[in-house]
Amino acid sequence: MLIKILGAALIVSGLGGWGLYGARRLRERARHLQELSMAFGYLEKEITCIYNPLPLALAHTARFAPEPVAQLFSVSSGLLQGRSGMTARDAWLKGVEKLSRLSPLEEEDLLLIQSAADQLGASDASGQRKFLSLIQEHLNMAEQTARNRAQVEQKLYAYGGFIAGLVVVLLLI
Amino acid sequence: MKNSPATKGVKEVLAYLPPGLEKILQYLDEKDCRELEEIRLRVGRPLLLRINDRECTLDNKGRIHHEPDRGYTVSEDDLRRTVACIMDNSLYAFEEDINRGFITIPGGHRVGLAGQVLAQGGEVRRVKDFSSLCIRLAREVLGCASPLFNLVCPRPREVLNTLIISPPRCGKTTILRDLARFLSSGGSSWPGCNVALIDERSELAGCYQGIPQLNVGPRTDVLDGCPKHLGMGMALRALSPRVIITDELGSREDVDAVRECVNAGVQVISTVHASSMEELQKRPMLKELLNLKVFSLAVFLSRRQGPGSLESLVRMNDYAD
Repeated sequence: MLIKILGAALIVSGLGGWGLYGARRLRERARHLQELSMAFGYLEKEITCIYNPLPLALAHTARFAPEPVAQLFSVSSGLLQGRSGMTARDAWLKGVEKLSRLSPLEEEDLLLIQSAADQLGASDASGQRKFLSLIQEHLNMAEQTARNRAQVEQKLYAYGGFIAGLVVVLLLI
Repeated sequence: MKNSPATKGVKEVLAYLPPGLEKILQYLDEKDCRELEEIRLRVGRPLLLRINDRECTLDNKGRIHHEPDRGYTVSEDDLRRTVACIMDNSLYAFEEDINRGFITIPGGHRVGLAGQVLAQGGEVRRVKDFSSLCIRLAREVLGCASPLFNLVCPRPREVLNTLIISPPRCGKTTILRDLARFLSSGGSSWPGCNVALIDERSELAGCYQGIPQLNVGPRTDVLDGCPKHLGMGMALRALSPRVIITDELGSREDVDAVRECVNAGVQVISTVHASSMEELQKRPMLKELLNLKVFSLAVFLSRRQGPGSLESLVRMNDYAD
């Protein structure tokens, strides 16, 4: 009997934990999108006001942004500072790859960030301002959508996990 | 490629090339490195090098050929990567340099840019879609102006207003730089003096982020990237130079500024493009400059015995137009 109770508790807590994890990822996605938008704003100032070279601008942005968003900027900055014939595009894509492993951002978010690769550092200051503002706008929209989705779905995930656990236990009994 | 003073300049440039091109150019021997003047990258066309007076190319195994068709073909990616590296992936930080048509990299090497030019109101607004690069290696030949020292400074504390004249690629800039170094440093017959170097195209001092990369002497102030006529005025007012040195006079403003400097008791040493006095006379601004007898000495250079060959001297006081 004790084993049955322990097993049931494990199933409920396991599926409940999975549900909570899903709910947290939904909240984190929205937060990361917001942090990314702020980081792009900082990068825009570094580029269009201070005219810092891109590797330095990215390094400064990495210091400003919280983890794991900072990884996007620090990885690409590090690669560019290495002067290994790497272009901003290559370095940025490596940064996005690293971020995708650390953040719950979805495919569409990553594609949006990736789209900056071809533009980063590749135009004059006004061109950079326009494109970075556009990226921020898209990120803000994505953040809003993610927040709405999180509001609706995070309860579903949080309670759903425990409910699913109980259902499984009942079926097994 | 060995580490030596001869290969130093080439290595500085190679750091900006993509790995494939860098590897090919590593095969150049020390003699070729010493004489390498230009590297030309054009998309879809062969890599071309100017080594002394020869034009040659390298295949992808680094072998030298004199037929361009046998050379390594520069790809769009090669050019894109080189441009990205030269500009530190930050085109926005080099807008003014791009609009001027060149960028100076550490070591004083100049990279000329060609691509699609967008002009508006008679001014270059933007250059984009780069299609070719001309990398000119800065050559610092210490002592190359020594045959001119006694002519330019005939007596202690006397410097003659001097015009160095030659067609392009005859070593005017190298000699002018060495004259600046000598006048600034001094020697047994010359105590050294304040020199203002107006380096509109960042060629004389090879400044990178404002710091001279080439030896222009301890008493030299460099106005980097500054238009000549403005620089001469600024130097006169603020830097109390004994000598002002600048490259390639040509415009009305330049002529007026030179006259202003000379009338203020400051000596001017400069250069112009021409191969003879007759050619100079055909350029209205320079003709006016000659007629004003601002310059006391004209030095003609050629490449007859290599760059910087002293062709002839004209004492302008004796020269009648």
